[in-house]
Amino acid sequence: MMDVGRHPRIELMAYSEVEDVGGYVGNFKVKVRKKARYVREEDCTSCAECARVCPVVVPDEFQVGLSSRKAVYLPFPQAVPAAYIIDMDACLGTNPIACGKCEEVCEKVCIDYDMKDEIVELEVGVVVVATGMEVYDPTELDEYCYTRYDNVITSMEFERLICAGGATEGHFVRPSDHEVPQRIAFIQCVGSRNNAGDKGNRYCSNICCMNTVKDTLLLRDHYPDCECTVFYMDIRAFGKGFEDLYMRSREEGVKYIRGLPGEIRQDPETRNLFLTAENTLTGEVAEREFDMVVLSVGVIPRHDSPLIKKLLSLSTTGDGFFMEAHPKLKPVDTPTRGVYICGCAESPKDVKDSVTQASAAAARAMTLLNAGEVTAEAITAAIDPALCTGCGLCAKVCPFNAIVVDKDRKTAWVVSAMCMGCGNCGATCNFGAVTMGHFTDDQYYAQIDALLEENAEDKVFTFACNWCSYAGADNAGISRLQYPASPRVVRTMCSARVTEDFVLYAFMKGAPVVLVSGCHFADCHYIDANRQTVKRVYRLWDKLEKLGIRPERLQLEWISAADGQKFARVMREIEEMRKQVTAEEIEHAKKVLAEEWEKKLAREAKRKKKAGADEPKDEVQVS
Amino acid sequence: MSPKTKFKCLKCGHEYVEEYAPDEDVERACPKCRSNSVRPEKPKKADAAKEE
Repeated sequence: MMDVGRHPRIELMAYSEVEDVGGYVGNFKVKVRKKARYVREEDCTSCAECARVCPVVVPDEFQVGLSSRKAVYLPFPQAVPAAYIIDMDACLGTNPIACGKCEEVCEKVCIDYDMKDEIVELEVGVVVVATGMEVYDPTELDEYCYTRYDNVITSMEFERLICAGGATEGHFVRPSDHEVPQRIAFIQCVGSRNNAGDKGNRYCSNICCMNTVKDTLLLRDHYPDCECTVFYMDIRAFGKGFEDLYMRSREEGVKYIRGLPGEIRQDPETRNLFLTAENTLTGEVAEREFDMVVLSVGVIPRHDSPLIKKLLSLSTTGDGFFMEAHPKLKPVDTPTRGVYICGCAESPKDVKDSVTQASAAAARAMTLLNAGEVTAEAITAAIDPALCTGCGLCAKVCPFNAIVVDKDRKTAWVVSAMCMGCGNCGATCNFGAVTMGHFTDDQYYAQIDALLEENAEDKVFTFACNWCSYAGADNAGISRLQYPASPRVVRTMCSARVTEDFVLYAFMKGAPVVLVSGCHFADCHYIDANRQTVKRVYRLWDKLEKLGIRPERLQLEWISAADGQKFARVMREIEEMRKQVTAEEIEHAKKVLAEEWEKKLAREAKRKKKAGADEPKDEVQVS
Repeated sequence: MSPKTKFKCLKCGHEYVEEYAPDEDVERACPKCRSNSVRPEKPKKADAAKEE
């Protein structure tokens, strides 16, 4: 951190918050609120005189509340810049100045009670999101009695107790009586890998097992007489050298019991703790006495992740961590070009993995910046200003905020550098004003015509998104899975590209069943575009019913790239449905939809004629 | 808490009741056959008037 602070080409903005991000790859405009420290950081020498005289004492966040700090404080000993901050929520008040002691003793005259927040606007080419994570709060897990019993602590509190720079200067003591504990229990997977209840998280937090192994070795090193017992589900020691460390911990005498305690009981006099747990390897249920219990808590996404997600148009997994553009090929890229992720913002990981990923993100950023210019995708959207009415529907559904609407001129345009080509706008536009590069409406109609030209009644017409469902079909193929020969698959970049008209046209051409398939919600490669697919399919079901066509003939499925099995199963099931669709039903659909189609064409012709008669609007394309 | 809505699976025909909000962000699947073709039933006009 010192190196970062000193680097001539790195501007470190500590105690600051990003408020807004605009622009696009190579041209981001970031608004940062630099919060008032009330201490001029360029003059402060960290002499600590101000903190010495400050009368206000509050819990120290860095020491997780195990010790206290003053209202004027250094956030943590290694803080960069090494300058104090006044916590104005705790300070006795500056208006009128009720105390002012810090100002009186500051020889460098650093204290400035009138300091205001500053808004800084930056122009940057790329953004790297490295916002980290937070620690799970185990208070909700009643069985572990955290906060009810003093001697039940979390692994984070353990860290501050055993650390030489911690609340007790490295003297490991029990909170209840400040005695050195002799029997210490560690409980693993607290708040992690919980598939049963509604408390905690389903995912593995990745770092807790090795953190506990390290903690037990530290304890055995500092206090050779102490007894350590670890209650675990599985020890996941998968990294380089991790298994050796785990074996060393066992050889040092640390007991490992496979099974998590069901309850913790406290002796009111001694404050000792009794843990009841079943050893699932031996089947033995036993109650054991300990002086202290350490809950090995998992990690969770930061509470302000949704804000970052919104500012940068990112997507998150079901767990709330930021999602990469591709798990194997683009592990630090995001769906938004020019934005990269690393560290625990992406998923729980240890220091080594975080550094590796941060280096990768930095390298990706450098590659882009060194290129000097950005090539826009060929599949982006374009808006015909003559047909556009400026209604703004396309901009509303664009997951990348790539469409700018000019209400005054009743038109809109696409920022090509921001557009990722999902086609959601193309499917949403009611006026035919959006053209998707290489995935035009006419190309789709031509594909539908060709695929249903002969024996349409024997075919299951399938729209599959490029990233998941189409890859799922591939997966089924390369895995040699057996499924009927009836599917005819048309690729779309996103399932949200499938317009209502495409589906109706397929039915008009005699398709007995149409399947729209896309990525699972958490995997959508266009952030949340496939939510529009659902809304569109709901509308289509209503419309089909109104026209006397069975809604069951339109199917919707989420199939991931690894779901070859599901693709094959779905195709087998839909084939059974196809067999039940009668020739009369197909003919009825063809007839009523042909009538609808005529009306639609007439409406379009009228609109185009009107657009041609109107004063031409300037074509605006920003790239 | 969102109001409960009746859903019908358009693959197996199974009907069930679940919480549903039009602006929700929930991936739905039929509890019986796992199909994603589950359709929320729109409240009938008479029922909606009754609730009011």
